[in-house]
Amino acid sequence: MLVGPQFLPPNDFLIRNKPFTMTENVNDTIMKMVKNLKATAQTDKMNNYEFTPLKRSISSSNSNESSFDEPTPVKRMKQENKLDLSYVGSPREMRRLRADLVEARNTILSLESRISQVHALRKQMQLVFDEENQSLKRQHEYDKKTIEELENQLQIIRKRETDLKNELAEVNSKYELLKIKSCEQMEKMEKTLEECKEETRQMESEENSIIPSLERRITELETMLEAAEEDAEAQKQLAAELEKRLSERNTMERDLELKDQALQKAKLHIKELEYAKENIIEFQDQIKASFLFNQVHKLANYSELEKENEQFKEENIRLKEEVRNKLLLEEEVYDLKNRLINYKAQEKKLADLQVQETQNTMYLNEWRAVARGICESCDSDAALPHLLRSTVERLQQQELTLTSEKVELESQFKTLTHEVKVAKSELEKNQKLLIELKTTGDQKQSLIHRMQKKLLLVSRERDSYRLQLDSYEKDLTMCANTTATGGGISNQLQAQKERIENLERIVEGYRDMVTKLENDLQNAQPNIHSEMVPVRAEQIARLQEELQQLKHDNEKLRERRDELEIQLEGYLIGQDTLQGGQAYHLANNPLAECLAQRENLVDKLEQEIEKLKRKIKNMEEGIEVSKIGDLSVCPQEVQALREQIKSHEQQTHMLKDYFKSQMQEFRNVIYNMLGYKIDRTQNSLYKLRSMYAEHADDQLCFHVNKEGELNLLENKFSATLEDMINLHLGHQKSIPVFLSAITMDLFNNKTISKTFQID
Amino acid sequence: MTTAAQKSKSAITLKGSAQIVCDYLNYGINSILFQRGLYPPESFKSEENYGLTILMSTDNKIKEFLSTTLEQLKGWLVDRSVNKVALVITNVKTLEVMERWDFLVEYEGDSKTEDQTSEKPLKQIKNEIRDVLKQIACSVAYLPLLDCLCSFDIQIYTKKDVDLPSEWTEAEPANIKDAQSVRMRSFSTNIHKMDTVVTYKNYN
Repeated sequence: MLVGPQFLPPNDFLIRNKPFTMTENVNDTIMKMVKNLKATAQTDKMNNYEFTPLKRSISSSNSNESSFDEPTPVKRMKQENKLDLSYVGSPREMRRLRADLVEARNTILSLESRISQVHALRKQMQLVFDEENQSLKRQHEYDKKTIEELENQLQIIRKRETDLKNELAEVNSKYELLKIKSCEQMEKMEKTLEECKEETRQMESEENSIIPSLERRITELETMLEAAEEDAEAQKQLAAELEKRLSERNTMERDLELKDQALQKAKLHIKELEYAKENIIEFQDQIKASFLFNQVHKLANYSELEKENEQFKEENIRLKEEVRNKLLLEEEVYDLKNRLINYKAQEKKLADLQVQETQNTMYLNEWRAVARGICESCDSDAALPHLLRSTVERLQQQELTLTSEKVELESQFKTLTHEVKVAKSELEKNQKLLIELKTTGDQKQSLIHRMQKKLLLVSRERDSYRLQLDSYEKDLTMCANTTATGGGISNQLQAQKERIENLERIVEGYRDMVTKLENDLQNAQPNIHSEMVPVRAEQIARLQEELQQLKHDNEKLRERRDELEIQLEGYLIGQDTLQGGQAYHLANNPLAECLAQRENLVDKLEQEIEKLKRKIKNMEEGIEVSKIGDLSVCPQEVQALREQIKSHEQQTHMLKDYFKSQMQEFRNVIYNMLGYKIDRTQNSLYKLRSMYAEHADDQLCFHVNKEGELNLLENKFSATLEDMINLHLGHQKSIPVFLSAITMDLFNNKTISKTFQID
Repeated sequence: MTTAAQKSKSAITLKGSAQIVCDYLNYGINSILFQRGLYPPESFKSEENYGLTILMSTDNKIKEFLSTTLEQLKGWLVDRSVNKVALVITNVKTLEVMERWDFLVEYEGDSKTEDQTSEKPLKQIKNEIRDVLKQIACSVAYLPLLDCLCSFDIQIYTKKDVDLPSEWTEAEPANIKDAQSVRMRSFSTNIHKMDTVVTYKNYN
């Protein structure tokens, strides 16, 4: 816009310059040019003054063009003013001036171009700066996002941590449970072990006690067996002997019997002989009388007979002795028989004992086999108990050693479990540390990455700035060169220098701005930058912990609040609030009335209860008092009833007396008139006793059957009245006749006896 | 009665609103007394209102009590000094509060003047009241049976500094243990808004 009119005049000048080579023309043209210039300058001026303030107002803060263009038109205007003033009419000077002017225009052109270049550069720079700014902003946003993500991650990690803590607690509880279970198992095992021990001990003791007892028993049994064998042998011998003796006795008995028979025979013979002797004596007498001759012969025979007789006597004595012997022998036989029975019983016993013995030996063998199995030896039986004992002792010792080993192992196990626990806790700690370190490392890596990127950006920026500076310096040196050659335009150069300085200052300002922005960025991302410093990291960790704690507290408090709210709700539903006011009701409301009524009722009831209690007490104390008490309940009625009862009783009594006396009278009359006393003993059984009865027991019994007929029952007295019964009852069928007949009969009897007495 | 509440054809005055509320309370309390079996059913006779048949007590004592109470309440309602009206049903033996019917009063419209009026049609108000009374009648279905000797009392919860007539005394707030409450529908005259809540002892 500004460049247009500035560039036009030179073009004009160039075009017009070519055909005119003459000085006049030149002058004219110069004049024209000057005029044109003037006009253009003025228009320029006008334009500048018209537009600059506006532009300044619009783009005072950031617009590039105005800030850069502003100083230039003013200076230019000055230049042109000077040119206008130094104008003198000489042609040489004019030429020189023209040349100068051309040169100046050239320089101006170059400067303009440079300015435009600079502008372009500026624009570029601006663009670069914008880009940078945008990139930084993007970075900033990205960082923010990353921060948010990290925060989210952090929260997730916290959640996980809480979860893990819960898990840890669960695992711990499980571990505790397992521990308890294992402990219980251990205890059980120990118990079982102890039981086993006790069992083994018992077994041992039993074995120890059983073995000697068994041995003892065996020895006893052996001795018993020996004794029994001996006994048996003795018995056998005895039995044999006895059998021998028995056979002897039998033979002797048989002899005895034979002898008895012989004795009998002998006795018979003796008797015969005696008889014969008597006969002989008689015969001798007869013979004496008759045959004296034969007497002598007979006498000789007699001596022989006497001899024979003595022989027989001797034989008799011997037989008697034998009989005595036989009795003795019989006794002995009986004795022996008894003993034999005894021996048989003993033999049975012996057999039992032998069976027992075999059983015992079997048991013993079994025990020995067991002992051998335990001792694992094939030695003789004698050494077995000792071996058993030693093995048992050995087993006990083994057991002791085993228990001690077990205790050791348990202690080792305990220590190992403790170590495992410690190791686990350490492992957890280390894992935690590792995780933390990893996270911090990741963070740091990302940070480093970011920082490297930033560094790259900054270095690029620095390079660009350096390039810019170089270009400025180049420009400056160029300007210096130009100023050195064209010393007349030192003022212009000065102005340009100033402009450059200004530009530099502006650039400086931008730098400051950039640094400031960077600082802002840093401030905006304190986390990222602070993490670089370890102290900050600690601080952050601490703060995070605090935050966590606070969150935890917050959660707790929230839960508590919820609980309390629930409780409060529960309480509030039933609770009545006055809402800061008062509650009023009528004094005599139905409730109050009802309560008063109730109270009255209760009072009444209490009084009644009291009364009744007193009554009960009185009743308990005595009946008389209770009667009074009863009377108090309904005294008149009771009294009246009593009186009624009394009167009724009296009436009945009187009636009874009256009836009794009447009955008595009636009975007496009947007795006196009909001569019979009638008693009704049982139901429908009547006893009649006559006035003239001889005995008090003489009674007649009548029974009334269902048809109302009277039947005479038989008894002692009625038995004596058979004739009358047959006549009066059987024939005439009249009881009164029968009774009067009896009366007559008895009366006759009595009166006869009486008359007899009178007589 | 309710015709008195109509100043003109379309407007209800403050006093008229108080009268509507008192009428509602009269019918509601009688209905509750009948429904909850506090008095023998023979002592009630049916009456038609709000398009419903409502059983009203013929007991002179109850009538007198309710009329004096409601008359006083009307005054306080006009003064805007009532927070709520409570019908308290108490076990006479144990003095335990079995049920409490709260009639919560809210004041609508902000003018404190006497000539506050409401444009709400009376028919609509009556329909609302009818709905509430129907709910009260239905409440027997879920309220626990009162199998003990019970009596009732009406307590009026006021704001502070209320002129107390001579027959009136202060009452204790009726608290119920293990309570459960049911909120009924509400009706409004655009001057007074009435919420009905029953709180009862929960045996579960």
